[in-house]
Amino acid sequence: MSLVNLDFAEELKEYSGDTALECFNCGTCAAICPLVNDNFPRRMIRYIQVGAREKILENSDELWRCLHCGLCTHTCPREADPGEIILGLKRFVLANWRKS
Amino acid sequence: MFNPRDIIEVLAANVRQTKSPFGIPKFMVNTWFKDLSLHKEGEYLLFTGLMYQFSPFIETSTQYLEKYEDTKTADYLKYAKWVPGYISGIGLAMMTKGKEKRKAGQPLKNIVYLLQKSKVDFGYRPELDDYSGILLYDMGDQKEFVAHAKKVAQKLQSAGIKKIITVDPHTAYALKELFPKYTGISFDVKPYFELLNFEPKDCSLEVTLHDPCFFGRYLKASDITRKQLSNMGISLTNIRNQGEFTSCCGGPAESISPSLSNEIMEKRAKELEEPGKPIIAYCPICLGNLKKSNANVEDLSSLLARHV
Repeated sequence: MSLVNLDFAEELKEYSGDTALECFNCGTCAAICPLVNDNFPRRMIRYIQVGAREKILENSDELWRCLHCGLCTHTCPREADPGEIILGLKRFVLANWRKS
Repeated sequence: MFNPRDIIEVLAANVRQTKSPFGIPKFMVNTWFKDLSLHKEGEYLLFTGLMYQFSPFIETSTQYLEKYEDTKTADYLKYAKWVPGYISGIGLAMMTKGKEKRKAGQPLKNIVYLLQKSKVDFGYRPELDDYSGILLYDMGDQKEFVAHAKKVAQKLQSAGIKKIITVDPHTAYALKELFPKYTGISFDVKPYFELLNFEPKDCSLEVTLHDPCFFGRYLKASDITRKQLSNMGISLTNIRNQGEFTSCCGGPAESISPSLSNEIMEKRAKELEEPGKPIIAYCPICLGNLKKSNANVEDLSSLLARHV
């Protein structure tokens, strides 16, 4: 079971922009990503939208598979900037690791 | 895959202690200019960001990482951050072949030759040529990146530098986009190929151009290389993923997961090799990574220097 954190999007603002809420989950980013892996980065963006903070921390290693190539950002129809969202999540996770 | 935290802490500690992600002292890395007589002053400062110079060391470290990825030994990486940066760096430098280190400087010598041929007024000051910190940024270590970037930017500013020539896409992106945003210090940054100015030629040659993500997509500079090549009578094959829609070479993943990096690289190399023409890269990371596939790949500067 995973708890939903309603303030998570707010907490993330310290690490990146707040474009995650622009995403309407079309999946273009996951389709174009060179990793072609388990709905990445769409799944991570969905976790932000629903406040699944712990899910992100549980699956955090996956974030560092991202090549930061920018194809997802370049093709996102909502200008949600998935590449920068993933970079922001890396910052968030790293800050959590260092706090722990 | 290695534990990202272990890799990040090692890189961050190395940059803090030695200004290099690999811990190698600068005098062992930056030697390419020693047999050239370069002016110190000029309208522009040539700033390599040490990325080409790092490429043989990246290759050596990746070979070791490949050996230990997903083995029990990988767990010991977490202790590496306690090893002083210079010690591991000198070790890495000694394990890297001298021939490879000398080869890594050739694209920089080519770039100097091309700039001189184009009558660009530039100087080179090795004491100002530092690593930009871009890997820390890509890894999400914002705090360490900003601390390092501030030192680099302030040093350049104190030396009165205003105009900079970069040679690789990662350093170009750091200086052009990230330094103004995170250090508050801006420079007029131009990639070297933007300043080249040659008489038109007809080389009657066809090549396949691999655009690096940061030049092709982030900085939208791939049209400039196309114009330069077209001016030399060098035509390009038509591949699916190019320009702003270029595809990654896999290089950025090589520290966290060499196997993933190889997987991405093989896909890209296959696409680039399909037209059967020589492949041209213009990023040291792409160049090093694509070479691993035994593809016929060379740096843009080598191609241009040969045909000017």
